[in-house]
Amino acid sequence: MKLIVAVLKPFKLDDVKEGLKALGIHGLTLTEAQGFGRQRGHTEVYRGAEYEVEFVPKIRLEVLVDDSRVEEVVSAIVETAGTGKIGDGKVWILPVEEVVRVRTGERGTEAL
Amino acid sequence: MLAAVTQVPYPSWLNTGDNTWQLVAATFVGLMSLPALAVLYASLVQKKWAVNVVAMMFAGFSLVMIAWFLWSYKMGFGANSFGGGVKNGVPTQLTGVGGWTHFIDNFVGKPGSITSSAGEQGQAVSAANTVIPFHFPTSTLAYFQFVFAAITPLLFMGSVLGRIKFSAWCLLVPLWSTCVYSVDAFLLWGGGYFAQEGALDFSGGYVIHMSAGVSGFVAAWVLGPRLLRDRQHAIPNNLVMAAVGAGILWLGWNGFNGGDPYYAGADAAAAVVNTNLATAAGVLTWIALDAWLSKEKKPTFLGGVNGMICGLVGITPCAGWVNGQGAIAIGVICCAVVWVAWNFLSKVRPFSKVDDALGVVYTHGIAGLFGGLLLGFFGDPNMLEYGCGRLDPSNQVVATTQQTYITATAHCTPFSVNGLIYTGSAHQLWEQFRAAVWVVFWSALVTFILMKLIGLVLRGARYKDEVLEVGDLAIHGEEAFPEATLAERVGAFSMAGDSVSSSSRRPDEPLPPNEPNEPGS
Repeated sequence: MKLIVAVLKPFKLDDVKEGLKALGIHGLTLTEAQGFGRQRGHTEVYRGAEYEVEFVPKIRLEVLVDDSRVEEVVSAIVETAGTGKIGDGKVWILPVEEVVRVRTGERGTEAL
Repeated sequence: MLAAVTQVPYPSWLNTGDNTWQLVAATFVGLMSLPALAVLYASLVQKKWAVNVVAMMFAGFSLVMIAWFLWSYKMGFGANSFGGGVKNGVPTQLTGVGGWTHFIDNFVGKPGSITSSAGEQGQAVSAANTVIPFHFPTSTLAYFQFVFAAITPLLFMGSVLGRIKFSAWCLLVPLWSTCVYSVDAFLLWGGGYFAQEGALDFSGGYVIHMSAGVSGFVAAWVLGPRLLRDRQHAIPNNLVMAAVGAGILWLGWNGFNGGDPYYAGADAAAAVVNTNLATAAGVLTWIALDAWLSKEKKPTFLGGVNGMICGLVGITPCAGWVNGQGAIAIGVICCAVVWVAWNFLSKVRPFSKVDDALGVVYTHGIAGLFGGLLLGFFGDPNMLEYGCGRLDPSNQVVATTQQTYITATAHCTPFSVNGLIYTGSAHQLWEQFRAAVWVVFWSALVTFILMKLIGLVLRGARYKDEVLEVGDLAIHGEEAFPEATLAERVGAFSMAGDSVSSSSRRPDEPLPPNEPNEPGS
């Protein structure tokens, strides 16, 4: 099993969600996050004073999948989240040792 | 046989229209402090200071209320001056007679309480209104004047927040109100020296705003700056709440300026309209200057709020004495002057060296000064605050046609202001200038002395850096936006229901709230 983590532009969330649903993925976790990459931040101006805000709002998406589905899920995310501009985000994949469904105690792929 | 006696709800000197409007206007002005200013300032600071701001606001409002009715209302608006220069509304010395003696005799009113039944329900009288009697009781006038007295220190809290001790604030507010506000109020409004000389301040451009700006600046200078980290991260925590506070402040100003003729007449209405004209002009001017001339070239909302305050403050000393064109001009000029000061003067000493946290010296101090001076230019002799009518045999006013309304008679001089552009006379401008110099001098001097005294008494009026690092939680034990689920109740009412606290509860101990009664208990 793998954990797919994607940090993306917030306004692409709907597209990504629909893309994943179309693949039959029926669970994901979403967190509002702040971050920067090569895109860097922006400037805000309050009462005449400028403030450099290095971190920009992002969403952090986590999806647990079976090894066999990693490729298609990652491609779906990349395809639906991309705008071709700087700051589109990143996707990375982590190995997962075990997954347990809290309600039933099921383990492994059964729990996905 | 005795004539039939009819029971009446109020005495004949009382006019229900005047009394109603005055109480409504007073309440509007009260709302400008609580909640408007509390919410505005609390949303302009970082989250960690929001509770401290609202706590100081509510405490300050309460402190002025008590002081005002126990001693200081009479210092500002009583019928007798401390030196006896005014007795029962009649000056005992004429203008210019006696020089310094005249000044000192007409410096401040005799302190005293107005909490007795006669004090609260008797007809309002001050050393200033010798011509037309007030048509409402002392309570109405005193409460109306209280909300002005209360908002003034709350305004300059914007200069000292983020480091002043709560205890220092609670000492400063009543002392400042007594020693600075009441004195300036008597001198300009209560029939004191500058009032007799002819200096004018419709609703407090000098007594309130310029005084608040200067006092805040001096207090901030004595206190020292906020933490460097707080200054670097001084980003507002909620612009929408700032909009709520600013909006109530603007509309509350209808009472602030509309209440100051003291009679619910045409000039009250004109003052309300002029206030809104100047304010709208101020908002638009600042936004336009930001969009065209600032480095960022963006129309900022908080810039608009600054412009709004400049317009409101600028028109305050003039509201019922200028016409609509004058009001728009005052809004534009005051806003433009403050915009330039905000962006450029702030980089020059001493402004660059004093941490006036919310910039009160600009939006209130400088705007108030220019508003007061501009009255000397834009005062329109045809804008009548009070006119003259003819009385019929039963003492009711008749014949209020424009002609009789504005014509002076042997018994009545209608009141309006002779500005430079209408009359060519700079006399009013000169009077305005002298009063401005005094208010700046007195506010700065007394605030300096009070802050030094408070610093001595409390061994420092500023919190230690460890406290400043934390803010609200260290000072009040409260947070503006606490995360409920991360906190658990402790102490006598620790959350029962778990086995530990249930079993450790003594039999006589009351059940915690919301816990269902266990059977058999």
